[in-house]
Amino acid sequence: MRSTRWLGVALVAMLAAGACTSGAAPSASAPASASAQPTPAASPTEAASMNPEAVIPNVEDGAEITFWTFYLSPTFDDYIQATIDRFEETYPGVTVDWEDHQATFLDDYRNAFAAGNAPDVANLSNNEGWVREFAEKDLLLSMTDSLPADVIDDYFPDLFNDSLVDGKSYQVPWYQAVPVELVNTEIFEAAGLSLDDFPDTWDGIPELCQTIKDATGKLCDIRLTVNDYLAQMVYEGGVDVINDDGTEFTFDSAEAVDWLQAYVDMVAAGTVDRAQLVTADDRTALELFTSGQAPFYNTGPQLIREVKSSNPALYEKLAIAPFPVGRSGVIQPTSMAISVKADTEFPNASMALAVFFTNPVSEVEFSKTVAVYPSAIAAFDDPFFTETPELIEDSARPLAKDIISKMKNIMPSIPEKADVNAIVGRAIESALFNNVPAQQALSDAVAEANALLE
Amino acid sequence: MTTTRSLTPYLFLVPAVLLIGVFVLYPIVSVVYYSFTDYDISTPPVWVGLENYQQLLGDDTFWLALSHSIVYLLVTPILIVLSIGLAIIVNRRLRGIHVFRALYYIPAVSGSIAIGISWRWLFDTNGLINSFLISLGILDQPIQWLSEPAAVLPIAMLLTIWAGVGYYSVIFLAGLQNISEDLYDAARIDGCSDVQKHRHVSVPGLRPQIVFVAVISSLAALKVFDEIYVLTNKTGGILDSGTTIVFYLWEQAFRLTHAGYASAIAIVLLAITLVFSVVNIRLLDRRAEAD
Repeated sequence: MRSTRWLGVALVAMLAAGACTSGAAPSASAPASASAQPTPAASPTEAASMNPEAVIPNVEDGAEITFWTFYLSPTFDDYIQATIDRFEETYPGVTVDWEDHQATFLDDYRNAFAAGNAPDVANLSNNEGWVREFAEKDLLLSMTDSLPADVIDDYFPDLFNDSLVDGKSYQVPWYQAVPVELVNTEIFEAAGLSLDDFPDTWDGIPELCQTIKDATGKLCDIRLTVNDYLAQMVYEGGVDVINDDGTEFTFDSAEAVDWLQAYVDMVAAGTVDRAQLVTADDRTALELFTSGQAPFYNTGPQLIREVKSSNPALYEKLAIAPFPVGRSGVIQPTSMAISVKADTEFPNASMALAVFFTNPVSEVEFSKTVAVYPSAIAAFDDPFFTETPELIEDSARPLAKDIISKMKNIMPSIPEKADVNAIVGRAIESALFNNVPAQQALSDAVAEANALLE
Repeated sequence: MTTTRSLTPYLFLVPAVLLIGVFVLYPIVSVVYYSFTDYDISTPPVWVGLENYQQLLGDDTFWLALSHSIVYLLVTPILIVLSIGLAIIVNRRLRGIHVFRALYYIPAVSGSIAIGISWRWLFDTNGLINSFLISLGILDQPIQWLSEPAAVLPIAMLLTIWAGVGYYSVIFLAGLQNISEDLYDAARIDGCSDVQKHRHVSVPGLRPQIVFVAVISSLAALKVFDEIYVLTNKTGGILDSGTTIVFYLWEQAFRLTHAGYASAIAIVLLAITLVFSVVNIRLLDRRAEAD
């Protein structure tokens, strides 16, 4: 009887551990060397003569390709399905099996590679580092090597080159937000400020927050990019985070300390909402602004509709200020991407789908359904982007081409990026909340990060 | 005929054995294997021997997370005391007592994520707790509770206790209703007060339930994840102030994609859980024998 009980206890403990583990099966995925070999890029003239959207030659007849999107269903079901239908008409004989994955997208995608059934085409994020993560493991197809040159030229060059790995792009850029500041004019007026007082550069933010706190008691709703602290250092602080040959981290320079010290001072002065500052969930920061408690919030105009539906009273008091540029002088690209897996059975059909969704026709249609902006240069010639809009959520439309053309990825490739980011995160938190001097926190983090490179 | 008869019980066992094999034993064996590998989920694992375990020994965040999980075990005695108290209160023939019993049980049937989000709202800068304290004049400025490193773990523990009391009290209520009224009558004749009656009759009579709740709730405390995940917005709290062992396991496996290292953490957790459960039961058994 007693032994049965111990067996029961052991089973309970095993279940406890079992519950904590990944359900991923051992990898059966093809090795990286098994990359698909698309037919060498050729002039798409023959295909184009039939349909101007058919720009990829030698698409495999009878190809059945799977396509995963990220968080687009059910809101954009009609748009996605209509685009797929048009694609299948453009490339007869090719069929697309579309799935939308949401909060678990990244885990699903990783597990799909482990299980050997990753989708042929996937909607990845450049900003979150997903393209680089999978490209560095040789799991994605090089678009630089595979696409015709004239197709590559259709995109803004800095968007196409957003996530280079060894000098090659493994994505075609899709839609993106144009960063703006949503301003609660009621709080601004209460603080004796006007929209013109919003600073042009990031350096003016601490003083603005202090003014608002002193006059209204409201805290600034700003966020550190917890998934990529180094990118924020690069764009906001103008920091060189790693040396040119990628062998040593340098994010404890005077510029880096200066950047971190500005946040330390804001926390010490109590002018920022600390929970939002280090949250990994941008929804909570948006909710704080939407509730009318925050003076401004950095986001894209596409989220204005959420303000409009959640808090119509705030929508009436909403204004848009230009995004304050950091010390780097450039704006970080924010594009979503479409990538093709390296070992797809149908590389040409997969590339055709990626290019089709990102061509001017498809992108303009998408922009008409939601305030996102194209990656194809020619899309901005459409009257939809050249005419003056009436609604505030559309006010960035005529400016978008200019803003996007200034976007530039100046982020160097970071080895062991996730681990280094975790190290930097701990250093920043220890400086912000544990009284560790900024210089010491960053120097310790550099030493720890450099040890990963040895 | 004899062969068929002797095979029959095994055939009945096959479905259960298959399910346990596929969904319990195979994952556990896989985790043991992965714990000796460098595995990032999307590419094949690479054998590294004991490297993950060696790394654990020098990992400050692992030890911090482990200490938080051990501190979290404090919820177990508190849960037992409060649940017994609540069970005694609702074990009365009062009008509408069934409604109260159902109300106390509501957290047990609510999703942990939903509860976590509700509590996050409660403790938000602009939440109910701050508004209440400010309205009473106790606070001038709201406290950012969930970004106070010292507050995260206690708030999570409070949430666990609040959510668990109703569930465990039902177990104790069932136990109380199995204790003979004669024992309470005898205690009353011997001059016991209400408190003494429960001290000398109810608590000893509830010993099997106390053992069960102690084991189950302490295992749950060691495995705590949902509360931390939601309350800290997936960060583990400022300065890892709310990071527990399972949260750290999740962070390593799914944020940093160190599934091999996370598997080593899971194996250590398995060992701790096993040892803890054995010690827990043995201590309580000894006490029962002593009584």
